[in-house]
Amino acid sequence: MIELHRVWKVFSVGPVKVPALSDISFRVAKGECVTLHGASGAGKTTLLRLLYREELPTEGDIEVLGCDVPALRVREVAALRRSIGVVFQDAKLLPGRTVYENVAFVLRVLGTPRREITPRVFDALRRVGLSARAQAYPAQLSQGEAQRAALARAIARKPLLLLADEPTGSLDESMAGEVIDIIKDIWARGTTVLFATHQARLAAALHQRTLHLLSGRLVKDEG
Amino acid sequence: MLGFLIGEALRDLHRAGRVAVAAILLTTLSLAALGGFWLVSTNVGQAAEQWRDRVRITVFLKQEPSAAETDELVDRVQAMPGVAAVRYVSKSEALGTLKEVLGKDASVAEQLPTNPLPASLEVMLNEAGATPEGARGLITRLSELPETDEVSGGMDWVDRLARGRRLLDVIGLGIGAVLAVAAILTVTTATTLVLHLRRQELEIMRLVGAPELVVRLPLLLQGMLQGLLGAVMAIWLLIAVYALAGPHLEPLVNQTLGLERLTFLKPHTVVGLMLAGTMLGGFGGWLARGRTAP
Ligand SMILES: Nc1ncnc2c1ncn2[C@@H]1O[C@H](COP(=O)(O)OP(=O)(O)O)[C@@H](O)[C@H]1O
Ligand SMILES: [Mg+2]
Repeated sequence: MIELHRVWKVFSVGPVKVPALSDISFRVAKGECVTLHGASGAGKTTLLRLLYREELPTEGDIEVLGCDVPALRVREVAALRRSIGVVFQDAKLLPGRTVYENVAFVLRVLGTPRREITPRVFDALRRVGLSARAQAYPAQLSQGEAQRAALARAIARKPLLLLADEPTGSLDESMAGEVIDIIKDIWARGTTVLFATHQARLAAALHQRTLHLLSGRLVKDEG
Repeated sequence: MLGFLIGEALRDLHRAGRVAVAAILLTTLSLAALGGFWLVSTNVGQAAEQWRDRVRITVFLKQEPSAAETDELVDRVQAMPGVAAVRYVSKSEALGTLKEVLGKDASVAEQLPTNPLPASLEVMLNEAGATPEGARGLITRLSELPETDEVSGGMDWVDRLARGRRLLDVIGLGIGAVLAVAAILTVTTATTLVLHLRRQELEIMRLVGAPELVVRLPLLLQGMLQGLLGAVMAIWLLIAVYALAGPHLEPLVNQTLGLERLTFLKPHTVVGLMLAGTMLGGFGGWLARGRTAP
Protein backbone atom coordinates (compact mmCIF):
# COMPACT_ATOMS: atom_id res chain seq x y z
CA MET A 1 0.00 0.00 0.00
CA ILE A 2 2.70 2.48 1.08
CA GLU A 3 6.42 1.99 0.80
CA LEU A 4 9.16 4.55 1.41
CA HIS A 5 12.79 3.80 0.80
CA ARG A 6 15.52 6.14 2.06
CA VAL A 7 13.42 9.26 1.54
CA TRP A 8 14.89 12.69 2.15
CA LYS A 9 13.14 16.02 1.95
CA VAL A 10 15.28 19.11 2.22
CA PHE A 11 13.70 22.57 1.93
CA SER A 12 15.85 25.43 0.75
CA VAL A 13 14.96 28.66 2.49
CA GLY A 14 17.24 31.07 0.70
CA PRO A 15 20.76 29.78 1.24
CA VAL A 16 19.68 27.73 4.28
CA LYS A 17 18.89 24.06 3.81
CA VAL A 18 16.21 22.71 6.15
CA PRO A 19 16.06 18.93 6.27
CA ALA A 20 12.39 18.19 7.03
CA LEU A 21 12.74 14.44 6.56
CA SER A 22 15.95 12.44 6.79
CA ASP A 23 16.41 8.96 5.44
CA ILE A 24 12.90 7.67 6.06
CA SER A 25 12.08 4.06 5.20
CA PHE A 26 8.94 2.16 6.18
CA ARG A 27 6.11 0.15 4.76
CA VAL A 28 2.38 0.11 5.45
CA ALA A 29 0.41 -2.94 4.37
CA LYS A 30 -3.15 -2.89 3.07
CA GLY A 31 -5.68 -2.77 5.90
CA GLU A 32 -3.28 -1.40 8.50
CA CYS A 33 -4.03 1.55 10.75
CA VAL A 34 -0.82 3.41 11.47
CA THR A 35 -0.31 6.43 13.71
CA LEU A 36 2.38 8.93 12.81
CA HIS A 37 3.48 10.58 16.00
CA GLY A 38 5.86 13.48 16.44
CA ALA A 39 6.09 16.92 17.96
CA SER A 40 5.15 19.96 15.99
CA GLY A 41 7.76 20.47 13.26
CA ALA A 42 8.81 16.82 13.26
CA GLY A 43 7.84 16.43 9.58
CA LYS A 44 4.44 14.73 9.75
CA THR A 45 2.67 17.03 7.30
CA THR A 46 5.61 16.93 4.91
CA LEU A 47 5.60 13.14 4.98
CA LEU A 48 1.87 12.97 4.19
CA ARG A 49 2.22 15.55 1.42
CA LEU A 50 4.88 13.40 -0.20
CA LEU A 51 2.39 10.53 -0.33
CA TYR A 52 -0.19 12.41 -2.42
CA ARG A 53 2.48 14.19 -4.45
CA GLU A 54 1.93 17.67 -3.08
CA GLU A 55 5.68 17.63 -2.49
CA LEU A 56 8.45 15.79 -4.31
CA PRO A 57 11.17 14.05 -2.30
CA THR A 58 14.68 15.39 -2.54
CA GLU A 59 15.86 11.83 -2.67
CA GLY A 60 14.49 8.31 -2.29
CA ASP A 61 11.66 6.12 -3.58
CA ILE A 62 7.98 6.42 -2.72
CA GLU A 63 5.38 3.91 -3.74
CA VAL A 64 1.68 4.41 -2.96
CA LEU A 65 -1.10 2.12 -4.19
CA GLY A 66 1.33 0.58 -6.64
CA CYS A 67 2.37 3.93 -8.15
CA ASP A 68 5.93 5.20 -8.32
CA VAL A 69 4.77 8.55 -6.91
CA PRO A 70 7.65 10.91 -7.85
CA ALA A 71 7.58 9.63 -11.43
CA LEU A 72 3.85 10.22 -12.01
CA ARG A 73 2.66 12.50 -14.76
CA VAL A 74 0.04 15.20 -14.03
CA ARG A 75 -2.89 13.08 -15.18
CA GLU A 76 -1.71 10.11 -13.14
CA VAL A 77 -1.30 12.29 -10.05
CA ALA A 78 -5.00 13.18 -10.34
CA ALA A 79 -5.88 9.50 -10.65
CA LEU A 80 -3.81 8.62 -7.56
CA ARG A 81 -5.42 11.40 -5.55
CA ARG A 82 -8.85 10.10 -6.42
CA SER A 83 -8.01 6.92 -4.48
CA ILE A 84 -6.67 8.76 -1.44
CA GLY A 85 -8.84 10.59 1.07
CA VAL A 86 -7.01 13.39 2.85
CA VAL A 87 -8.02 15.27 5.98
CA PHE A 88 -5.89 18.41 5.85
CA GLN A 89 -4.41 19.88 8.97
CA ASP A 90 -6.30 23.11 8.26
CA ALA A 91 -9.50 21.24 7.23
CA LYS A 92 -9.83 23.36 4.05
CA LEU A 93 -13.62 23.56 4.16
CA LEU A 94 -15.09 25.96 1.59
CA PRO A 95 -16.51 28.85 3.63
CA GLY A 96 -19.23 29.74 1.14
CA ARG A 97 -20.81 26.29 1.17
CA THR A 98 -22.71 24.31 3.73
CA VAL A 99 -21.39 21.09 5.23
CA TYR A 100 -23.61 19.16 2.84
CA GLU A 101 -22.35 21.17 -0.15
CA ASN A 102 -18.72 20.80 0.92
CA VAL A 103 -19.00 17.03 0.84
CA ALA A 104 -21.15 17.00 -2.30
CA PHE A 105 -18.73 19.35 -4.09
CA VAL A 106 -15.92 16.80 -4.03
CA LEU A 107 -18.23 14.02 -5.19
CA ARG A 108 -19.48 16.19 -8.03
CA VAL A 109 -16.09 17.28 -9.33
CA LEU A 110 -15.11 13.64 -9.38
CA GLY A 111 -18.08 12.85 -11.59
CA THR A 112 -20.27 10.91 -9.15
CA PRO A 113 -23.69 10.25 -10.72
CA ARG A 114 -26.21 12.80 -9.52
CA ARG A 115 -28.63 10.48 -7.78
CA GLU A 116 -25.83 8.84 -5.78
CA ILE A 117 -24.62 12.10 -4.32
CA THR A 118 -27.27 12.80 -1.67
CA PRO A 119 -27.27 9.30 -0.18
CA ARG A 120 -23.48 9.19 -0.12
CA VAL A 121 -23.17 12.61 1.49
CA PHE A 122 -25.67 11.68 4.20
CA ASP A 123 -24.05 8.30 4.74
CA ALA A 124 -20.68 10.02 5.29
CA LEU A 125 -22.22 12.67 7.56
CA ARG A 126 -23.98 9.98 9.59
CA ARG A 127 -20.71 8.12 10.08
CA VAL A 128 -19.06 11.22 11.54
CA GLY A 129 -22.20 12.14 13.48
CA LEU A 130 -22.91 15.36 11.62
CA SER A 131 -26.26 14.59 9.95
CA ALA A 132 -27.97 17.31 11.97
CA ARG A 133 -25.45 19.96 10.88
CA ALA A 134 -25.70 19.36 7.13
CA GLN A 135 -27.05 22.85 6.41
CA ALA A 136 -24.58 24.69 8.64
CA TYR A 137 -21.79 26.82 7.17
CA PRO A 138 -18.20 26.16 8.31
CA ALA A 139 -18.13 29.40 10.31
CA GLN A 140 -21.07 28.10 12.35
CA LEU A 141 -19.29 24.85 13.30
CA SER A 142 -17.25 24.10 16.39
CA GLN A 143 -13.67 22.94 15.74
CA GLY A 144 -14.63 19.35 16.43
CA GLU A 145 -17.52 19.56 14.00
CA ALA A 146 -15.30 21.15 11.35
CA GLN A 147 -12.76 18.32 11.68
CA ARG A 148 -15.55 15.77 11.38
CA ALA A 149 -16.93 17.54 8.30
CA ALA A 150 -13.46 17.33 6.75
CA LEU A 151 -13.40 13.63 7.64
CA ALA A 152 -16.81 13.12 6.04
CA ARG A 153 -15.56 14.80 2.87
CA ALA A 154 -12.50 12.54 2.82
CA ILE A 155 -14.45 9.30 3.24
CA ALA A 156 -17.51 10.12 1.10
CA ARG A 157 -15.72 8.97 -2.02
CA LYS A 158 -14.70 5.68 -0.42
CA PRO A 159 -10.90 6.01 -0.65
CA LEU A 160 -8.61 3.01 -0.39
CA LEU A 161 -6.28 5.04 1.78
CA LEU A 162 -7.10 7.73 4.33
CA LEU A 163 -4.43 10.24 5.31
CA ALA A 164 -5.51 12.28 8.32
CA ASP A 165 -3.24 15.16 9.33
CA GLU A 166 -3.90 16.03 12.97
CA PRO A 167 -7.69 15.77 12.74
CA THR A 168 -7.72 16.14 16.52
CA GLY A 169 -5.25 19.02 16.49
CA SER A 170 -6.90 21.57 18.70
CA LEU A 171 -9.66 19.48 20.23
CA ASP A 172 -10.17 18.75 23.91
CA GLU A 173 -9.81 15.19 25.05
CA SER A 174 -13.41 14.00 24.79
CA MET A 175 -13.87 15.53 21.34
CA ALA A 176 -10.57 14.05 20.18
CA GLY A 177 -11.80 10.70 21.48
CA GLU A 178 -14.88 10.96 19.28
CA VAL A 179 -12.73 11.62 16.20
CA ILE A 180 -10.52 8.65 17.10
CA ASP A 181 -13.60 6.44 17.31
CA ILE A 182 -14.71 7.60 13.86
CA ILE A 183 -11.28 6.84 12.41
CA LYS A 184 -11.35 3.39 14.02
CA ASP A 185 -14.74 2.83 12.42
CA ILE A 186 -13.46 3.88 8.99
CA TRP A 187 -10.49 1.56 9.36
CA ALA A 188 -12.75 -1.30 10.51
CA ARG A 189 -14.64 -1.00 7.22
CA GLY A 190 -11.49 -1.76 5.25
CA THR A 191 -9.80 1.58 4.56
CA THR A 192 -6.07 1.70 5.20
CA VAL A 193 -5.39 4.62 7.57
CA LEU A 194 -2.37 6.77 8.24
CA PHE A 195 -3.11 9.19 11.05
CA ALA A 196 -0.74 11.97 12.13
CA THR A 197 -0.85 13.46 15.63
CA HIS A 198 1.39 15.25 18.07
CA GLN A 199 -0.59 13.88 21.04
CA ALA A 200 1.17 10.79 22.43
CA ARG A 201 -1.90 9.74 24.36
CA LEU A 202 -4.05 9.58 21.23
CA ALA A 203 -1.40 7.54 19.46
CA ALA A 204 -1.56 5.07 22.31
CA ALA A 205 -5.38 5.13 22.35
CA LEU A 206 -5.60 3.54 18.93
CA HIS A 207 -3.66 0.49 20.14
CA GLN A 208 -2.12 0.16 16.73
CA ARG A 209 1.28 0.48 15.14
CA THR A 210 2.90 3.87 15.73
CA LEU A 211 5.73 5.51 13.81
CA HIS A 212 7.64 8.05 15.90
CA LEU A 213 9.16 11.01 14.11
CA LEU A 214 11.77 13.15 15.81
CA SER A 215 13.14 16.14 13.88
CA GLY A 216 12.57 14.44 10.55
CA ARG A 217 13.98 11.07 11.57
CA LEU A 218 12.03 7.88 12.10
CA VAL A 219 13.17 6.94 15.56
CA LYS A 220 10.77 4.19 16.57
CA ASP A 221 8.32 1.85 14.86
CA GLU A 222 6.30 0.06 17.50
CA GLY A 223 3.20 -2.09 17.68
CA MET B 1 -22.11 16.73 -14.78
CA LEU B 2 -22.67 19.45 -17.40
CA GLY B 3 -25.42 20.91 -15.26
CA PHE B 4 -22.98 21.07 -12.37
CA LEU B 5 -20.32 22.76 -14.51
CA ILE B 6 -22.79 25.36 -15.80
CA GLY B 7 -23.99 25.89 -12.24
CA GLU B 8 -20.42 26.52 -11.11
CA ALA B 9 -19.92 28.91 -14.04
CA LEU B 10 -23.02 30.89 -13.04
CA ARG B 11 -21.86 30.95 -9.45
CA ASP B 12 -18.54 32.36 -10.70
CA LEU B 13 -20.31 35.08 -12.67
CA HIS B 14 -22.29 36.00 -9.62
CA ARG B 15 -19.16 36.22 -7.53
CA ALA B 16 -17.19 38.23 -10.07
CA GLY B 17 -20.04 40.72 -9.69
CA ARG B 18 -19.29 44.15 -11.05
CA VAL B 19 -16.30 43.11 -13.10
CA ALA B 20 -18.42 40.50 -14.86
CA VAL B 21 -21.10 43.10 -15.45
CA ALA B 22 -18.44 45.43 -16.90
CA ALA B 23 -17.22 42.63 -19.13
CA ILE B 24 -20.74 41.95 -20.35
CA LEU B 25 -21.36 45.65 -21.00
CA LEU B 26 -18.13 46.05 -22.93
CA THR B 27 -18.98 43.03 -25.04
CA THR B 28 -22.39 44.62 -25.61
CA LEU B 29 -20.79 47.89 -26.70
CA SER B 30 -18.28 46.31 -29.02
CA LEU B 31 -20.85 44.10 -30.71
CA ALA B 32 -23.43 46.90 -30.87
CA ALA B 33 -20.86 49.14 -32.56
CA LEU B 34 -19.94 46.38 -34.95
CA GLY B 35 -23.58 45.52 -35.64
CA GLY B 36 -24.61 49.17 -35.88
CA PHE B 37 -22.02 50.00 -38.50
CA TRP B 38 -22.89 46.80 -40.26
CA LEU B 39 -26.53 47.85 -40.28
CA VAL B 40 -25.75 51.28 -41.75
CA SER B 41 -23.31 49.80 -44.22
CA THR B 42 -25.83 47.19 -45.40
CA ASN B 43 -28.40 49.88 -46.08
CA VAL B 44 -25.94 52.18 -47.82
CA GLY B 45 -24.87 49.20 -49.88
CA GLN B 46 -28.45 48.53 -50.80
CA ALA B 47 -28.91 52.13 -51.89
CA ALA B 48 -25.78 51.96 -54.00
CA GLU B 49 -27.02 48.73 -55.52
CA GLN B 50 -30.35 50.29 -56.35
CA TRP B 51 -28.73 53.31 -57.88
CA ARG B 52 -26.37 51.27 -59.92
CA ASP B 53 -29.40 49.80 -61.67
CA ARG B 54 -30.60 53.26 -62.55
CA VAL B 55 -27.31 54.71 -63.62
CA ARG B 56 -26.86 55.09 -67.34
CA ILE B 57 -24.36 56.73 -69.58
CA THR B 58 -25.62 58.89 -72.42
CA VAL B 59 -23.51 59.14 -75.60
CA PHE B 60 -24.49 62.11 -77.74
CA LEU B 61 -23.77 61.46 -81.41
CA LYS B 62 -22.28 63.98 -83.85
CA GLN B 63 -25.00 63.31 -86.37
CA GLU B 64 -28.05 61.14 -86.78
CA PRO B 65 -26.94 57.80 -88.30
CA SER B 66 -28.88 55.88 -90.92
CA ALA B 67 -30.86 52.80 -89.86
CA ALA B 68 -28.09 50.41 -90.94
CA GLU B 69 -25.42 52.51 -89.26
CA THR B 70 -27.54 52.62 -86.11
CA ASP B 71 -27.79 48.82 -85.89
CA GLU B 72 -24.06 48.47 -86.47
CA LEU B 73 -23.22 51.13 -83.86
CA VAL B 74 -25.56 49.61 -81.25
CA ASP B 75 -23.99 46.19 -81.83
CA ARG B 76 -20.53 47.64 -81.42
CA VAL B 77 -21.39 49.36 -78.12
CA GLN B 78 -23.31 46.33 -76.90
CA ALA B 79 -20.15 44.27 -77.33
CA MET B 80 -18.13 46.53 -75.02
CA PRO B 81 -17.34 45.12 -71.57
CA GLY B 82 -19.57 46.47 -68.82
CA VAL B 83 -22.55 47.12 -71.05
CA ALA B 84 -25.87 45.55 -70.11
CA ALA B 85 -28.09 47.12 -72.75
CA VAL B 86 -28.05 49.88 -75.36
CA ARG B 87 -30.98 51.92 -76.57
CA TYR B 88 -30.84 54.27 -79.52
CA VAL B 89 -32.69 57.58 -79.11
CA SER B 90 -33.28 59.36 -82.38
CA LYS B 91 -33.46 63.14 -82.75
CA SER B 92 -37.24 63.01 -83.09
CA GLU B 93 -37.67 60.72 -80.08
CA ALA B 94 -35.56 63.12 -78.04
CA LEU B 95 -37.76 66.00 -79.13
CA GLY B 96 -40.86 63.96 -78.27
CA THR B 97 -39.53 63.35 -74.80
CA LEU B 98 -38.71 67.01 -74.40
CA LYS B 99 -42.26 67.97 -75.41
CA GLU B 100 -43.64 65.47 -72.91
CA VAL B 101 -41.52 67.00 -70.21
CA LEU B 102 -42.56 70.54 -71.14
CA GLY B 103 -46.24 69.58 -71.15
CA LYS B 104 -48.39 72.65 -71.79
CA ASP B 105 -45.32 74.66 -72.75
CA ALA B 106 -44.62 72.24 -75.60
CA SER B 107 -45.53 74.87 -78.16
CA VAL B 108 -42.15 76.48 -77.45
CA ALA B 109 -40.49 73.41 -78.93
CA GLU B 110 -42.84 73.41 -81.89
CA GLN B 111 -41.73 76.86 -82.90
CA LEU B 112 -38.11 75.75 -83.37
CA PRO B 113 -37.11 75.86 -87.02
CA THR B 114 -35.02 72.69 -86.78
CA ASN B 115 -34.71 69.96 -84.17
CA PRO B 116 -31.72 71.06 -82.04
CA LEU B 117 -31.49 67.86 -80.07
CA PRO B 118 -28.81 65.32 -80.99
CA ALA B 119 -29.39 61.63 -81.43
CA SER B 120 -27.95 59.61 -78.61
CA LEU B 121 -27.28 56.16 -77.18
CA GLU B 122 -28.48 55.24 -73.67
CA VAL B 123 -26.04 52.75 -72.22
CA MET B 124 -27.15 50.65 -69.24
CA LEU B 125 -24.39 49.14 -67.14
CA ASN B 126 -24.02 45.58 -65.99
CA GLU B 127 -22.26 44.56 -62.79
CA ALA B 128 -18.75 44.87 -64.23
CA GLY B 129 -19.55 48.25 -65.73
CA ALA B 130 -20.98 49.60 -62.52
CA THR B 131 -17.72 49.47 -60.64
CA PRO B 132 -15.76 52.72 -60.56
CA GLU B 133 -12.98 51.29 -62.73
CA GLY B 134 -15.39 49.58 -65.11
CA ALA B 135 -17.38 52.76 -65.65
CA ARG B 136 -14.26 54.83 -66.18
CA GLY B 137 -12.96 52.39 -68.81
CA LEU B 138 -16.28 52.30 -70.58
CA ILE B 139 -16.58 56.08 -70.67
CA THR B 140 -13.10 56.34 -72.21
CA ARG B 141 -13.99 53.74 -74.81
CA LEU B 142 -17.27 55.44 -75.65
CA SER B 143 -15.54 58.83 -75.99
CA GLU B 144 -13.12 57.32 -78.46
CA LEU B 145 -15.85 56.24 -80.86
CA PRO B 146 -15.67 58.31 -84.08
CA GLU B 147 -19.42 58.91 -83.89
CA THR B 148 -19.27 60.33 -80.38
CA ASP B 149 -19.75 64.01 -79.76
CA GLU B 150 -19.95 63.93 -75.98
CA VAL B 151 -20.37 61.40 -73.18
CA SER B 152 -22.35 62.36 -70.09
CA GLY B 153 -23.28 60.62 -66.86
CA GLY B 154 -21.17 58.14 -65.08
CA MET B 155 -20.51 56.76 -61.70
CA ASP B 156 -19.12 59.73 -59.89
CA TRP B 157 -21.40 59.79 -56.94
CA VAL B 158 -22.26 56.11 -56.91
CA ASP B 159 -18.55 55.86 -56.69
CA ARG B 160 -18.52 58.19 -53.74
CA LEU B 161 -21.29 56.18 -52.08
CA ALA B 162 -19.31 52.98 -52.49
CA ARG B 163 -16.24 54.65 -51.05
CA GLY B 164 -18.34 56.00 -48.19
CA ARG B 165 -19.58 52.52 -47.49
CA ARG B 166 -16.08 51.14 -47.42
CA LEU B 167 -15.08 53.91 -45.03
CA LEU B 168 -18.03 53.00 -42.83
CA ASP B 169 -16.93 49.37 -42.84
CA VAL B 170 -13.39 50.31 -41.86
CA ILE B 171 -14.53 52.67 -39.08
CA GLY B 172 -17.03 50.08 -37.84
CA LEU B 173 -14.44 47.32 -37.83
CA GLY B 174 -11.90 49.62 -36.18
CA ILE B 175 -14.19 50.74 -33.37
CA GLY B 176 -15.55 47.21 -33.04
CA ALA B 177 -12.03 45.78 -32.83
CA VAL B 178 -10.86 48.27 -30.20
CA LEU B 179 -13.95 47.59 -28.12
CA ALA B 180 -13.57 43.85 -28.68
CA VAL B 181 -10.02 43.95 -27.32
CA ALA B 182 -11.29 45.91 -24.33
CA ALA B 183 -14.07 43.35 -23.90
CA ILE B 184 -11.63 40.43 -24.06
CA LEU B 185 -9.36 42.07 -21.49
CA THR B 186 -12.30 42.75 -19.20
CA VAL B 187 -13.52 39.17 -19.49
CA THR B 188 -9.95 38.12 -18.71
CA THR B 189 -9.93 40.37 -15.67
CA ALA B 190 -13.30 39.02 -14.57
CA THR B 191 -12.03 35.47 -15.02
CA THR B 192 -8.81 36.23 -13.17
CA LEU B 193 -10.91 37.61 -10.36
CA VAL B 194 -13.00 34.46 -10.46
CA LEU B 195 -9.80 32.40 -10.28
CA HIS B 196 -8.80 34.38 -7.25
CA LEU B 197 -12.21 34.02 -5.61
CA ARG B 198 -12.25 30.37 -6.50
CA ARG B 199 -8.72 29.59 -5.35
CA GLN B 200 -10.02 27.50 -2.45
CA GLU B 201 -12.31 25.49 -4.70
CA LEU B 202 -9.56 25.10 -7.27
CA GLU B 203 -7.14 23.92 -4.58
CA ILE B 204 -9.61 21.34 -3.32
CA MET B 205 -10.30 20.20 -6.88
CA ARG B 206 -6.60 19.78 -7.48
CA LEU B 207 -6.03 17.99 -4.18
CA VAL B 208 -8.81 15.46 -4.68
CA GLY B 209 -7.68 14.75 -8.24
CA ALA B 210 -10.47 16.36 -10.25
CA PRO B 211 -9.98 15.88 -13.99
CA GLU B 212 -8.37 18.87 -15.71
CA LEU B 213 -11.51 19.45 -17.77
CA VAL B 214 -13.68 19.87 -14.68
CA VAL B 215 -11.25 22.48 -13.41
CA ARG B 216 -11.05 24.39 -16.67
CA LEU B 217 -14.49 24.11 -18.19
CA PRO B 218 -16.38 26.35 -15.74
CA LEU B 219 -13.81 29.09 -16.39
CA LEU B 220 -14.23 28.79 -20.13
CA LEU B 221 -18.01 28.55 -19.76
CA GLN B 222 -18.32 31.63 -17.59
CA GLY B 223 -16.28 33.59 -20.14
CA MET B 224 -18.49 32.32 -22.94
CA LEU B 225 -21.61 33.12 -20.93
CA GLN B 226 -20.43 36.69 -20.43
CA GLY B 227 -19.80 37.01 -24.16
CA LEU B 228 -23.15 35.50 -25.09
CA LEU B 229 -25.02 37.74 -22.64
CA GLY B 230 -23.17 40.73 -24.10
CA ALA B 231 -24.11 39.69 -27.63
CA VAL B 232 -27.78 39.19 -26.76
CA MET B 233 -27.86 42.62 -25.13
CA ALA B 234 -26.13 44.17 -28.15
CA ILE B 235 -28.76 42.68 -30.45
CA TRP B 236 -31.56 43.91 -28.20
CA LEU B 237 -29.97 47.34 -28.24
CA LEU B 238 -29.76 47.34 -32.05
CA ILE B 239 -33.37 46.16 -32.37
CA ALA B 240 -34.54 48.84 -29.95
CA VAL B 241 -32.61 51.63 -31.69
CA TYR B 242 -33.78 50.38 -35.06
CA ALA B 243 -37.41 50.21 -33.97
CA LEU B 244 -37.29 53.67 -32.38
CA ALA B 245 -35.20 55.54 -34.95
CA GLY B 246 -36.12 53.61 -38.10
CA PRO B 247 -39.51 55.24 -38.78
CA HIS B 248 -38.00 58.70 -38.30
CA LEU B 249 -35.01 57.97 -40.48
CA GLU B 250 -36.85 56.33 -43.34
CA PRO B 251 -38.19 59.57 -44.99
CA LEU B 252 -34.76 61.16 -44.68
CA VAL B 253 -33.02 58.14 -46.14
CA ASN B 254 -35.63 58.07 -48.84
CA GLN B 255 -34.87 61.65 -49.86
CA THR B 256 -31.13 61.45 -49.70
CA LEU B 257 -30.37 57.92 -50.79
CA GLY B 258 -33.60 57.10 -52.58
CA LEU B 259 -33.93 54.00 -50.43
CA GLU B 260 -37.57 53.27 -49.77
CA ARG B 261 -37.20 50.91 -46.85
CA LEU B 262 -34.52 50.28 -44.27
CA THR B 263 -33.59 46.67 -43.63
CA PHE B 264 -32.42 45.13 -40.37
CA LEU B 265 -29.52 42.69 -40.09
CA LYS B 266 -30.13 39.31 -41.67
CA PRO B 267 -30.77 36.39 -39.29
CA HIS B 268 -27.41 34.82 -40.07
CA THR B 269 -25.66 38.09 -39.22
CA VAL B 270 -27.49 38.12 -35.88
CA VAL B 271 -26.39 34.54 -35.23
CA GLY B 272 -22.90 35.56 -36.31
CA LEU B 273 -22.85 38.36 -33.74
CA MET B 274 -23.92 35.96 -31.00
CA LEU B 275 -21.22 33.50 -32.00
CA ALA B 276 -18.68 36.31 -32.09
CA GLY B 277 -19.69 37.35 -28.58
CA THR B 278 -19.48 33.81 -27.25
CA MET B 279 -16.06 33.32 -28.79
CA LEU B 280 -14.88 36.69 -27.52
CA GLY B 281 -15.87 35.71 -23.98
CA GLY B 282 -14.45 32.22 -24.28
CA PHE B 283 -11.17 33.70 -25.48
CA GLY B 284 -11.11 36.06 -22.50
CA GLY B 285 -11.76 33.18 -20.11
CA TRP B 286 -9.12 31.08 -21.75
CA LEU B 287 -6.54 33.88 -21.55
CA ALA B 288 -7.09 34.19 -17.80
CA ARG B 289 -6.61 30.46 -17.44
CA GLY B 290 -3.30 30.72 -19.30
CA ARG B 291 -2.04 33.49 -17.07
CA THR B 292 -2.64 31.63 -13.84
CA ALA B 293 -1.61 28.15 -15.02
CA PRO B 294 1.11 26.79 -12.74
N1 LIG C 1 7.42 24.66 2.29
C1 LIG C 1 8.35 24.67 3.25
N2 LIG C 1 9.44 25.42 3.12
C2 LIG C 1 10.39 25.42 4.08
N3 LIG C 1 10.34 24.69 5.17
C3 LIG C 1 9.27 23.90 5.34
C4 LIG C 1 8.22 23.85 4.39
N4 LIG C 1 7.29 22.96 4.83
C5 LIG C 1 7.73 22.49 6.01
N5 LIG C 1 8.93 23.05 6.33
C6 LIG C 1 9.72 22.74 7.50
O1 LIG C 1 9.85 21.35 7.61
C7 LIG C 1 9.75 20.95 8.97
C8 LIG C 1 8.62 19.95 9.15
O2 LIG C 1 7.38 20.60 8.99
P1 LIG C 1 5.99 19.85 9.02
O3 LIG C 1 6.06 18.71 8.08
O4 LIG C 1 4.92 20.84 8.78
O5 LIG C 1 5.95 19.34 10.50
P2 LIG C 1 4.69 18.82 11.35
O6 LIG C 1 3.56 18.60 10.43
O7 LIG C 1 5.18 17.56 11.99
O8 LIG C 1 4.43 19.86 12.39
C9 LIG C 1 9.56 22.22 9.79
O9 LIG C 1 10.82 22.62 10.27
C10 LIG C 1 9.06 23.21 8.79
O10 LIG C 1 9.45 24.51 9.11
MG1 LIG D 1 1.71 19.40 10.47
